[in-house]
Amino acid sequence: MKPVAITAWGVVSTFGVGWDAFRAGITGEAGAAFGSAPTALPSLAGLGVRAAEVASFDPRPIVGDKGLRNNDRLTKLLLVAARLGLEAAGLKREGAFAALGADDIGVCGSTAYGSLEAIHELHTVALREDPRYLNPARFPNTVINSSVGYVSIWEELRALNATVTNGPTGALDALDAACTWIAAGRAKAVLAGGAEALSEGLWQGFRRAGAEALTLGEGACLAVLEDEAAARARGATVHAVIAGYGSAFDPGDEGTTMVRAGRGALERALRLALADAGIEASEVTLALTGRSGLASFDAAEREVIAAVLGDVPAVAPKEWIGETLGAAGAFAVAFGCAVSGAGYAVVTSLGFYGNASALVFRRAE
Amino acid sequence: MTRRVFVTGMGVVSSVGLGRDAYWRSLVAGRSGTSTIRSFDASKLGRDLAAEVQGFVARDHLTDVEAKRSGRCSAFAIAAARMAVRDAGLSDAALRSERASVVLGTTMGEADVLGRLDEAWILGDADAMSARVLPKAAPYLLSAATANALGCRGAVLTLPAACAAGNYAIGYAADLIRAGRADVVITGAAELLQDLQFAGFVRLGAVSPDRCQPFDLNRRGLIVGEGAGVLVLESEEHAVRRGATALAEVGGHGLACDGFHITRPEPSGAGIIHALREAIARSGLEPADVDFVNAHGTATKANDVVESTAVRAVFGDRRVPVSSIKSMIGHCMGASSALEAVSCVETLLSDTLPPTIGYEVPDPECDIAVVANEAVRARTDVVVNHALAFGGYDAVVLFAKPGRLPAPAARGGAA
Repeated sequence: MKPVAITAWGVVSTFGVGWDAFRAGITGEAGAAFGSAPTALPSLAGLGVRAAEVASFDPRPIVGDKGLRNNDRLTKLLLVAARLGLEAAGLKREGAFAALGADDIGVCGSTAYGSLEAIHELHTVALREDPRYLNPARFPNTVINSSVGYVSIWEELRALNATVTNGPTGALDALDAACTWIAAGRAKAVLAGGAEALSEGLWQGFRRAGAEALTLGEGACLAVLEDEAAARARGATVHAVIAGYGSAFDPGDEGTTMVRAGRGALERALRLALADAGIEASEVTLALTGRSGLASFDAAEREVIAAVLGDVPAVAPKEWIGETLGAAGAFAVAFGCAVSGAGYAVVTSLGFYGNASALVFRRAE
Repeated sequence: MTRRVFVTGMGVVSSVGLGRDAYWRSLVAGRSGTSTIRSFDASKLGRDLAAEVQGFVARDHLTDVEAKRSGRCSAFAIAAARMAVRDAGLSDAALRSERASVVLGTTMGEADVLGRLDEAWILGDADAMSARVLPKAAPYLLSAATANALGCRGAVLTLPAACAAGNYAIGYAADLIRAGRADVVITGAAELLQDLQFAGFVRLGAVSPDRCQPFDLNRRGLIVGEGAGVLVLESEEHAVRRGATALAEVGGHGLACDGFHITRPEPSGAGIIHALREAIARSGLEPADVDFVNAHGTATKANDVVESTAVRAVFGDRRVPVSSIKSMIGHCMGASSALEAVSCVETLLSDTLPPTIGYEVPDPECDIAVVANEAVRARTDVVVNHALAFGGYDAVVLFAKPGRLPAPAARGGAA
């Protein structure tokens, strides 16, 4: 692919609001964020929940307090991450465009279950009260793309806006889609990544599906992506360069389960990503894995990394920030940018239904 | 390297027919798919009409195991995809390739499966949510279920772009082929009618009490629909190598965002104008080359005025024919632009413009040449397909008769 620069990060993580909090958090001990029961979600109190929540999250200091009343938690996480990213990239200053313009900037975000909170809220009204009492101002939150859509509305961005949903691989897929659109001249900059919000529905769903081994997390992680040459020409800081991507699927047969690790898909995706970047496996200095505690998935990924990359240093960002699902791939790239080191890093990610994606990026010296 | 991208097969699940032939015959005949809703009780809401798919039996298109594992939305997608690959004459070997991908759009995916889980929880407790049903509720399952059914081994992706999802998926699928990342992409969108979503549209005041009359002065809103439209897109090289018939060429597509309001279109139409001009320019054409506009045409007051403004802005005083088949198939949300893409390709194949039924009194605010009530025969080489959506999305895809578009290298900018 044509190299695309990451010129800024907008991050809201379990370690707090902003890049500095994220960076400080991941240099601490893995699992530090998992200890206590979530406090920001009172509905989960008493359920024995361990989750990597964004505690005491308050969007108002960053985006003000007007117009947020009908937005859900996911949208608020995204709005804050977007504002931080645009300002860090120098694209906006005090709410006004400082470089490029409204028609030049797009948004591409991934979420796996983003509309769950709103759907559950409206279902509760419809079933416990009456469907005639549904709040029409909350109804748009039930469509999957609404939270990402609100970013363009809030920031008055008029280039394309897109949402990707693909489970844990989604943010890698969204980063790649954004790179494709930049290369095609559809936008000069794209806020790209993903977000997921904790809710009781999300937690109960994974618990009932038997995925207790996961520690769910939440947050929003958006990279500002720009064509590398154009970014350097405008004097932007280049944190990293996205160099390659691959994605593949392993069809099952009638004997395989719906939820399964696509081992073959991940191996193909990883080899495609290396070829797309035009590098050899031996040039990779860091693997950022999707290891999350789901045994069969973790084992498949370990085998693929050993087979393709050999004995490469590997780290599992989810051990710091939890399984953030639709945001996970973006957080993994951010993790790779925040830890010290140079050279090529890869992110590997297995979807839940036999798909897999991999992304190669080059970290700044 | 930029390649031409062809449509080589199409499949349809709709309220006016299963399969592209039955669907197109109904559209040309001006037949409405609207009827009283059967799948849930809408009586309390004061609106009880929808363009519901009736008589669809999943087992006619899916294996036992697929049918057991699929909600209605995935079943629609798999069924339409099977019809499309059969129509394209694609071999199993071509489908089971690492170069075959699936990119589908939707607004809410398996909303009915999720609805039933939620109901069990709300009326009972969380443990009442079935562990066997939970994996069937993921909104991103659509593409994986379809890839699984066909055996595709390339990338799978779901683009939930609300009511523009079909155009987003088709545009992205074409880009995957142009970038050399796939030879074949199964693309389109699927959506189902569900009680919560229906109630939401009613509460927004968007649903008509009787019929969908796009661009008519007395239009009273949309009729919710459901269904799936799936297209097989193929690189020219792959299609030629296997001797496939190209039904149409996928031209450029334009994408923009109003950045204005989550449900209301921005009144000047700047976003849809931008998307329309971009789709035409990326095809290497001029507005004068466009023979027909398949409108988003939802029959809400706001949408139809903005869309008419955009048509006037781009085509000027030239009365390019415009039609909205939502007057017949309803607003199938994410699936609408995919179903309409199938109609666009049929228009190119038959030189026939489908009608906008229920068009009785022209609206001076919608001063465009509506194909009123009856299909029209007209030589048609180039069509554009509009979609607008929640989130302020604007997406336009252009289709042309094979051989009509300039060579990819001669098109301005990246196609």
